[in-house]
Amino acid sequence: MSPNDAYLMLATFLIPLGTAVLLMLVPSKERSAIIGITALASFAMFVIALYLFVNYDFEGPQFQGVKAWTWMENAGVLGERGIQLKVGMDGIAAPMVLLTGIVIMPGTWVSWKLHHRTKDFFILLYLLVAGVFGTFVMLDLFFFFLLYETAVLPMYLLIAVWGSTRKEYGAMKLMMMLVAASILIFTAIFAIFTEAGLGTFDLPSLFAADYDPRMQKIFFPMIAIGCGTLGGMFPFHGWSPDGHASAPTAVSMLHAGVLMKLGAFGIIRLGFQILPEGAAFWAPALIFIGITAALYGAISALRQTDLKLMTGFSSVSHMGYVFLGLGTLNVVGMTGAVLQMFAHGVMTALFFLLIGGMYDQAHNRDIPNFSGMAKQMPIWAIFFILAGLASLGLPGLSGFVAELHIFVGVFRAYPIVGGLAVLTAAITATYLLRMFAAAFFGEFNPRWSHLHEITWAERAGAAVLAIAILTLGLWPSPWVDRISTTLAQTIPGVAL
Amino acid sequence: MGMEQVVLLPAIPAAIFVVLALFSALLPRRGDWLAILGMAVVVVLALAVAFHFQDFFALGEFAPGGENAYAFDWLNLGNGTFQIDFSTYVDAITVVMLIVVSVVALMVMIYSVGYMHGEPRYGWYFAALSLFVAAMLTLVTAGNLMILYFAWEAVGLASFLLIGFYWERRSAAEAAKKAFLTTRIGDVGLLIGIILLWREAGTFDIQEIIHFAEAGGFDEKYLTIAMLFLFMGAVGKSAQFPLHVWLPDAMEGPTPVSALIHAATMVVAGVYLVARMLPVFDVVLVARDVVLYTGLITAFMAATMGLVANDIKRVLAYSTVSQLGFMFVALGLGSPTAAMFHLFTHAFFKALLFLGSGSVIHATHQQEVEHLGGLWRKQPITTWTFVIGSLALAGMIPLAGFWSKDEILHAAKDNLPVFIVLATTAGLTAIYSTRLVMLTFFGEPRDRHAYEHAHESPPIMTLPLLFLAGCAAVAGFVVYDGVGKALGFAGGIGKLIYGHEPETFHFDRDLATFALAVAGAGIGLGVIYWWGRAERATRARSWAPELHALLVNRYYIDDLYQTLINRVVLGAAAVVAIFDKRVVNETGVDGGAQTIGWLGLRLKFLQTGRIPNYALAMVGGIVTLSLVAFYTS
Repeated sequence: MSPNDAYLMLATFLIPLGTAVLLMLVPSKERSAIIGITALASFAMFVIALYLFVNYDFEGPQFQGVKAWTWMENAGVLGERGIQLKVGMDGIAAPMVLLTGIVIMPGTWVSWKLHHRTKDFFILLYLLVAGVFGTFVMLDLFFFFLLYETAVLPMYLLIAVWGSTRKEYGAMKLMMMLVAASILIFTAIFAIFTEAGLGTFDLPSLFAADYDPRMQKIFFPMIAIGCGTLGGMFPFHGWSPDGHASAPTAVSMLHAGVLMKLGAFGIIRLGFQILPEGAAFWAPALIFIGITAALYGAISALRQTDLKLMTGFSSVSHMGYVFLGLGTLNVVGMTGAVLQMFAHGVMTALFFLLIGGMYDQAHNRDIPNFSGMAKQMPIWAIFFILAGLASLGLPGLSGFVAELHIFVGVFRAYPIVGGLAVLTAAITATYLLRMFAAAFFGEFNPRWSHLHEITWAERAGAAVLAIAILTLGLWPSPWVDRISTTLAQTIPGVAL
Repeated sequence: MGMEQVVLLPAIPAAIFVVLALFSALLPRRGDWLAILGMAVVVVLALAVAFHFQDFFALGEFAPGGENAYAFDWLNLGNGTFQIDFSTYVDAITVVMLIVVSVVALMVMIYSVGYMHGEPRYGWYFAALSLFVAAMLTLVTAGNLMILYFAWEAVGLASFLLIGFYWERRSAAEAAKKAFLTTRIGDVGLLIGIILLWREAGTFDIQEIIHFAEAGGFDEKYLTIAMLFLFMGAVGKSAQFPLHVWLPDAMEGPTPVSALIHAATMVVAGVYLVARMLPVFDVVLVARDVVLYTGLITAFMAATMGLVANDIKRVLAYSTVSQLGFMFVALGLGSPTAAMFHLFTHAFFKALLFLGSGSVIHATHQQEVEHLGGLWRKQPITTWTFVIGSLALAGMIPLAGFWSKDEILHAAKDNLPVFIVLATTAGLTAIYSTRLVMLTFFGEPRDRHAYEHAHESPPIMTLPLLFLAGCAAVAGFVVYDGVGKALGFAGGIGKLIYGHEPETFHFDRDLATFALAVAGAGIGLGVIYWWGRAERATRARSWAPELHALLVNRYYIDDLYQTLINRVVLGAAAVVAIFDKRVVNETGVDGGAQTIGWLGLRLKFLQTGRIPNYALAMVGGIVTLSLVAFYTS
């Protein structure tokens, strides 16, 4: 990766930011202009993300395409290179950037059919995406947190204005929990800054600094819980099923697909990379939380009848795998955790896209109300089954690759937990197949004969996500190479 | 054909699957010819592999254990720490499986052209069959447990799709779900077993694991646990007790699918897996005994259930479960040759029986034996080929089943209890297979309407029947060296399967006479009892109503599972869901929010707006802080 790729990283969050500003200037009536601008912007983001992922050279240095523009230094507590706009990517950020690029494009496409304040919706959505991209490529702790919050805040309006079913409640709950969690991260960031004593927010310098082990043990849980809340970590997952259920389609897609990964990414960046000893100390707790969440989410999902709630609990379960993988403290398991972030991202985005495509017509998501839907909407059903099979860990699809790494990693460290983790995959299969059998198969319920096949935009979006699912499932090396090399290089104390 | 090209075998049907799944609507005849053509090429290639393999053997260059061919790294993390390479492995067991899978699949596809004619989703049917064949061929050529697991799940997916082919029928959708979930329970065990083996051996390569185990690399207890987990996978896939419940329901799929997947090939994957890993099972005999007794229980139980079933396909399904049990018994006794030989012959005669039953169903639209009878006049070819298959199943000399069953009985002859159960089951097999033939094809027609409309199936269906009947008649002869040599397999089946330690065929005159007597008695009993009028068919149940009810209700095992799922699993799920709603959400989250709200409501009264109150508070604060400062300094 050449140093000039730094400008492309800058572009990943300046494009959505610029688009948001540009949209403010476009009159709301100009729908075709809005569609044209967002089509271009989302395509550009996708291409840049793909380019950055492909060009990340896993045999090169850890951080690539690094470039910094100093903003403030030598003032007050700040020393040399105090706060800078510094971009750069490692092998963990690379797949996350790709994920965001993959999800935002279909997310944009399916939102074109919104007719209520379309322009405002896109402004907020792109602000959120700017925050997400920014967090992934930022190598300065100050901007990292700033953009992290930028990604979270638009959620409130997006849900409260464009959502459905108890949207005000869902939006408020989500916002309150996430803001409360951010306070913990905020506190930990200042502790890290002070303890390092370098007078800089530069992340690579902070990675290299020494921290008192006791301090690490105190502040790692703050980061784990703070970021973990956004990652849907049990028992701080309460916002997630309700939030997903009430959010509009594209927001659910981005939220479950990308934003939750931001939380897990934060745990790796701030927790594992800055405070490795704290992480090592608390790793068994992550294992415990991870396996509990995996089982708990899966068992809860068995009982859900609302499709979105089921997917929401399924997300809690799948994110449990991420924490499980992180807790293994070996490269295989942690690689699995990052793979799972990607795999769950594309898969859940596909789920929510499809649920949205059906809900917009039927205004109903209750599984027992449906039967034989494969007759009326075969393409929809095929994509749904594909996503479901990825979710239950069928080999050849993305979920299996990620879960396999996690299982193997966990078996190395804690064989019995590993057994439970594999069992969870069987429970996942149970709730998904019950849903398939009930809703897609059997005699067609003529009540739904007015429903149409999903739109072309939705089909194209689903196809993009399906291709991502199949690619990772059949050819995982590009992901595994990047992730595992970075993990082995950067997290001290992690065994192969 | 070199062994490096073995990877082509699954690649051809895989490519056809992709083409048919996406473009079958654009192809003439929905592309059925493409699937059949591809399958024919695979048969030729499979035979080429077999002969090439045999050349090696004849020239004495044959390396014990077969040939490993590396294809490519699928995954390699940390320079081999966690590595999965896509390698193939070919030995005699693989060769047998390749021939069985490709030949039966070709016959089933040809037959399907007639049987599935005019069905909706005709192209998709052939696509799914091709997917199945691709996965099955990958499974049997895999040199690596992880690739095997990959294929293992993929055949499960194909089975799910094909059982649920008529998904508009609620029963088909439920059967597909049941099959997938039941085998999935086994697969959990399989994956755990594979990872446990990897954890100690550090590799997924089957031969390396075997060498590691034989060299005593594993702790014995650990290995026992790992192998038992691995065996769970075989139990699920091969429908052994206690995970046998899905196979009879799987008969909801189209009949040719039952013949291919649920009789001849996919369900024997478990047998294949255990045969492949048998050297490791040999290290831990406890695990091998579990294989033996699982097989024994299943063989007997399934045969008894087959006695009373009324659906022609279900009788055959129970029979399949029972025969798979026989194969596991052979494996448990440490005789992979006998197991693989029985697998080989069973594939032909059971596929034949299923396709024959399909021909009956096609002609009469009936599959309950109570509505059939007397069809021999209308369907001569179906009848006589079915009789051949049935006699082969019963173990009548000189048909294929006789030789292979005799081989299993021979392996069991030193273990009296096992031998007695096996011999009894063999007798039951003869009875139920005769009952099925008598009720379906002979006697008085019980449903005149169905009978009147019956007709012989078209040649595209009867030709596969005739071909398979030929196989069922002669497949057993490969045990003889002369026959084996004539076919190119010097040394017959015994040497073919375990070339490095030739196990010759054990033909024991006394044992064979005994086995024939048992089979003959069973057949005779069946013919005498079910010969004649319609009421005979139903009279059996009044003989011992409780026993009949027990068998008809499949020992109440399905009901037990259903209750467990409804009460325990869904009950636990309800508890967790309520916990999440009430405790985590309403108490934890909403409760927290409400507490803060309530505090705000109460504490706002501290904000009085009166200066003296604030002054007092200020003084109090100063005093407290001064005291704290005084005592801490």
